[in-house]
Amino acid sequence: MVATANATRTASPRPTARKRSRPKHVFAIVALAPFIIFGAIFAAYPLGQVIRMALSDVQIRGGIFEWTWIGFANFGAVLTDANGLRSLGNTVIFVAATVVLSLIVGLALALLVDRAITLLPLARNVLIWPAVIAPVVVSLMWLLLLSPTAGGLNKALYSLGLPLQGWIGQESTAMAAVIVVDVWHWTPVVFLFLYTALKSIDGATLEAARVDGANEWRIIQHVVLPALRPAIAAVVVVRVIMGVKAFDEMYLLTSGGPNFATTLVTQHIKTLFFDSLQFGEASAFSLVVVILTALVLGAVLFTRSKVEK
Amino acid sequence: MSDAQTAGTKRNLGVEITLGVVLVLSIIPIAFTTLLAFLPNRAIVSSSWDFPFWLGNFERVFKDGIFIAQIGNSLLIVLGTVAICLVIGTLSGYSLSRLHPPRWITIPALVIAGFIPLIPPMTLLPGLYVLLSDLGLIGGVGGLVLVNAFLNLPFAVLLMSSYFSTIPEELREAGIMDGASELTVLLRIMLPVVRPGIAAVGVFTAIMAWNEFQMGLTLTSGGATAPVTVGIAGLLQPFAVTWGELAAAGTLAAIPIIVMSIFANRQIVAGLTAGAIKG
Repeated sequence: MVATANATRTASPRPTARKRSRPKHVFAIVALAPFIIFGAIFAAYPLGQVIRMALSDVQIRGGIFEWTWIGFANFGAVLTDANGLRSLGNTVIFVAATVVLSLIVGLALALLVDRAITLLPLARNVLIWPAVIAPVVVSLMWLLLLSPTAGGLNKALYSLGLPLQGWIGQESTAMAAVIVVDVWHWTPVVFLFLYTALKSIDGATLEAARVDGANEWRIIQHVVLPALRPAIAAVVVVRVIMGVKAFDEMYLLTSGGPNFATTLVTQHIKTLFFDSLQFGEASAFSLVVVILTALVLGAVLFTRSKVEK
Repeated sequence: MSDAQTAGTKRNLGVEITLGVVLVLSIIPIAFTTLLAFLPNRAIVSSSWDFPFWLGNFERVFKDGIFIAQIGNSLLIVLGTVAICLVIGTLSGYSLSRLHPPRWITIPALVIAGFIPLIPPMTLLPGLYVLLSDLGLIGGVGGLVLVNAFLNLPFAVLLMSSYFSTIPEELREAGIMDGASELTVLLRIMLPVVRPGIAAVGVFTAIMAWNEFQMGLTLTSGGATAPVTVGIAGLLQPFAVTWGELAAAGTLAAIPIIVMSIFANRQIVAGLTAGAIKG
């Protein structure tokens, strides 16, 4: 968010920009061109292809794509497809749960670390480890814990004489397991955002509140949380985007199963495109996801600007 | 980070103990995987807890040479991605923040920089697949370098741009006055100042490229052509799961990154907080 905020600032040229010299102008364009070319080739062109595919019936014959224009039929098929709708619903649950839980845990961690002295240096390092490990490896680590047959958690339950659980192998708990894994994986990001924001709260204000005899809870409620509001809003946007993009953990832990209980939109696109070879429907569904994401983010940013005013 | 605020308050034993417990809990998955990597399968699947030390898992992971080839692919992808992101990130970030290019070119640049991080890469995948098959780049390291570079470029450009914008305008003007060209000013005067930004972009894009899975999975045919993340995923077979090998491969992929995060903590924190939007 820091970088984005900065970019919007650079977008409005300062008054000094008017007196630029010719060579500077040329160099500025040449220096920016590679990025635009990259974006045009790898974002604009694929997006164009996705749109074209969404409006076509596409078949592969002899390794070559054959396109037939069919209009909006793919969208109709996608919006009435039960599995597609289920994956949208699953994604809404997944995003809501992971955003809320990682926000609560991240906030608690930030407040805790902010009050620590001895363990502070260690905690600031160890707490970000989950976020640097590859999602694939994170799934692997949790599979070793959550596997119904050989996982560490069931082994511990057995040793304690408690009933074994199906965890990721069972419809009722699979989604919860995938959510827990995502929260473990990405709470460090929330923690870092909020801890950085906590550090920038004016120490004098806190000191004054303490001198006035306010207890810690009242200070958190009336001084700390209001000061953290912009950082919380920023990290919610970040986490919503991450949630919509989530694929790796779910794919490796459950492959969307059992019985579609954990199929997220990303998994559904992959299944349509690579497994059922329904290229047109995969593309149409991709566009539906992009549009819905844009609407949700637009709504979040809109309420945020309202709240801040 | 200023510790002035905490220094004012007394050490709170309850806080330290709670935090200690949280730290232990949070590394359980990492510690458990590392432990299993050194155990034979029968000890892992048995219902009793015994720990016969065993190195056979690592031997098996390396046996057929495919895992080594995959590590090689991942290293090449990391090198290529970091190189492209550093060169283009520096040039374009500098241009955006310090050279005030005309609007007809900054607006598309900002649209791209804002747009790419927002959309799930999976939604572009049908299009990327068509693009790479047109270019004949499906299934190779070259295609994955370009796709990874593309996914990380918005972050690299925006982060470099925010580092460049901390440099006073006068520094560039003084260089130009002395007769240096724009490129010389960038290379000789600006680059040394933004070294922390270059380090942050380098470390963070390296981690992102090493960790990438979706594109490696869908744009290669697997086996010796795939990156290491896809190789690890391939060890997960639905029925005959070789737990020990899985743990060994996971340990090999995670420990170097964790060691790196200990030594490059500051760069990673800068990347996670500034670039987390790219997810």
